[in-house]
Amino acid sequence: MLELRNVSFSYPGAERPALEGVNLDIGAGECLGLLGSNGAGKTTLFSLLAGLRQPQVGHIRWQIEGRPGLIPQQPAYYGQLSVRENLELFADLYRLQGKERRERMERCLEAATLGTLLNSRAHGLSGGQQRRLNFAIGLLQPAKVYLFDEATVGVDAQARQRLLDTVAQLPKEGCAVLYTSHYLEEIERVAQRIVLLDSGQVRLDLNKRQLLDGTPSLLLEWPHTVPPGLEALLARLGLSADPLPHGVRIARLDIAQLTEICAFLALQQEPPSLLRFGQPSLEQLYLHLCGGAL
Amino acid sequence: MILAALVRKEVLLLSRDPHALGALLLMPTLFIVLMAFALSAVNQEKLPPIDVSFTSAATNTDTAFFKQALAKQLGEGHLRDATPDKTQVHLAADFSESLLDTDARTVQVTYPPSVDTVTRQRVRAIIQTGLAQSRLHAFLLETGDLSAEQPLAERLDDVAQRTQTLLDERELSNSGTPTEPANASQHSVPAWLIFGMFFVMLPMAHSFQHERQSGALMRLRCLDLDTFTMAFSKLAPYLGLNVLQFVGFLALGTWGLPLLGLPGLSMAGAPLAYAALAISLALAACTLGLAIATLARNAEQALLLSAGINIILAAIGGIMVPKSVMPDAMRHVAELSPMSWALDAFRALLVGHGDLTSVAPFCGRLLLFACIVGIFAIVLFRRRLRDMQWVAQV
Repeated sequence: MLELRNVSFSYPGAERPALEGVNLDIGAGECLGLLGSNGAGKTTLFSLLAGLRQPQVGHIRWQIEGRPGLIPQQPAYYGQLSVRENLELFADLYRLQGKERRERMERCLEAATLGTLLNSRAHGLSGGQQRRLNFAIGLLQPAKVYLFDEATVGVDAQARQRLLDTVAQLPKEGCAVLYTSHYLEEIERVAQRIVLLDSGQVRLDLNKRQLLDGTPSLLLEWPHTVPPGLEALLARLGLSADPLPHGVRIARLDIAQLTEICAFLALQQEPPSLLRFGQPSLEQLYLHLCGGAL
Repeated sequence: MILAALVRKEVLLLSRDPHALGALLLMPTLFIVLMAFALSAVNQEKLPPIDVSFTSAATNTDTAFFKQALAKQLGEGHLRDATPDKTQVHLAADFSESLLDTDARTVQVTYPPSVDTVTRQRVRAIIQTGLAQSRLHAFLLETGDLSAEQPLAERLDDVAQRTQTLLDERELSNSGTPTEPANASQHSVPAWLIFGMFFVMLPMAHSFQHERQSGALMRLRCLDLDTFTMAFSKLAPYLGLNVLQFVGFLALGTWGLPLLGLPGLSMAGAPLAYAALAISLALAACTLGLAIATLARNAEQALLLSAGINIILAAIGGIMVPKSVMPDAMRHVAELSPMSWALDAFRALLVGHGDLTSVAPFCGRLLLFACIVGIFAIVLFRRRLRDMQWVAQV
């Protein structure tokens, strides 16, 4: 549905590229959780996908027609118009008509729980209500791909659950979703795939089931490089490892395999800086991968 | 559907902006009424009276006659004896002896700082008439055509009759046919109407910056809407409002001002010419508004640019100071202002009773201006859209 190949982008005067050699494939019915610290390149990636910027290197191929549905960080609507007028305006701009228009309007109003606020001016809404209106306008767009950027900031817990239910429903309807949030439990809940961006590069692109599959995994990290010999050991033990910056993540290993790995580690000159066995949450994983910067 | 939705949005936003409506409707209305009041005497030759203080170092037949001649011209009660803070006219002791000597400076005039140039010219004219009458009076006494025994008032009437000048003044239209003289409203209403119409720059710039900073424009940009459609949707409501201003302010001048006891606007000239002027003026004002809106990088710049440019165009365009009193160099500069072209077109209609051909050169300039500025605005608008970012821009 959406294919990014070797995409790079640099802002004029910047010391390093905002995105560098990004490769991503997003298929229909897939929800991709995008993680990354500030400056990792998430906003630039969203700008490229929204069509606001063009990649300087590489290409983005859309295998669908139409534009993506946008739910940006900042409220993007007209404060002097009422909730209804905003929705009607964007429904017109999305060329929605007849039954489809009515159905989408109803769905958005329900998802964003704005039914009682239809005649209220947007600038008079509370912060959370404004976010919900922003969400509703983005969701109103009939699109095959939706980009959610911090869509639930400031929304109360009950309304947030409803918004997340709606996001989770989109892949089931065949839509692709890119979701980024500082609330990692939201990503854990809605995303099937986790992509970690760091310094403009994709550092990790894993299926959530692989990452958080309920079976214990071993996380290993060294201050500098992975010691030589580890790869051969893992091959001998029949284990596969996901590469991490300066480390590896080894899933589905038993105690015997763990004992062999520990014996290998004991023989190394440089001990690992991190050794964790068990099932980490996404947040723990993320904090570890990014060195704690959210 | 898209264009209609965008235009409807702009109309709703405009209708909910009380500051914009105040600047576009209320402020020009106030300007028109106040300036009509202020200038109501001009062009009707009912200038305000001048108070003059009179003193003389000597008292004799000549000084008494001169004083009476001044008093008659100034009107009853406006020539006073030695009153401070007024224009002072003082006759030297040798006034009588030097009366027929045109090189003698026996009349001294002193102006307080508050007296303007026009009043000074009027005072000079009154004194020169008084002096001419006094000289004739002295001559007629000497030749015996007047008797010193006659009452002073009678002698003054006699002299005044001999020195009076009746001019046969006529007003001509553009086509050369006789017309009525223009009143002050014929000049002041169009000037402030034009100024008010160009004020669309302010709300246009403000609205665009607000849309840009709120992120709403980013949403529109991501929809890949046609630039021309987006630009036209911003122009259309303001073009409509401009035409409404044009009609409303002319109606105010025609029917509103007479209700306040002020000279009303006499709508001379061809209706088609008014329509052509309204459209070309509105296009010039709105394209300039769009250009300023897109040129500014933030709301503060937009306010400064739109208000500043409007005032500068008005100042050099003969809106605030009539072009007739400007020095030659300034008159050439005035020709650069679209407000000046519009004012000339109005003058051709309201004073010259012109038709479409009379206003065509001015409308042509306004349309050319609208084309050039409009193209610039659309190019800039496209660039602003291209530079939109995913996150807020302030």
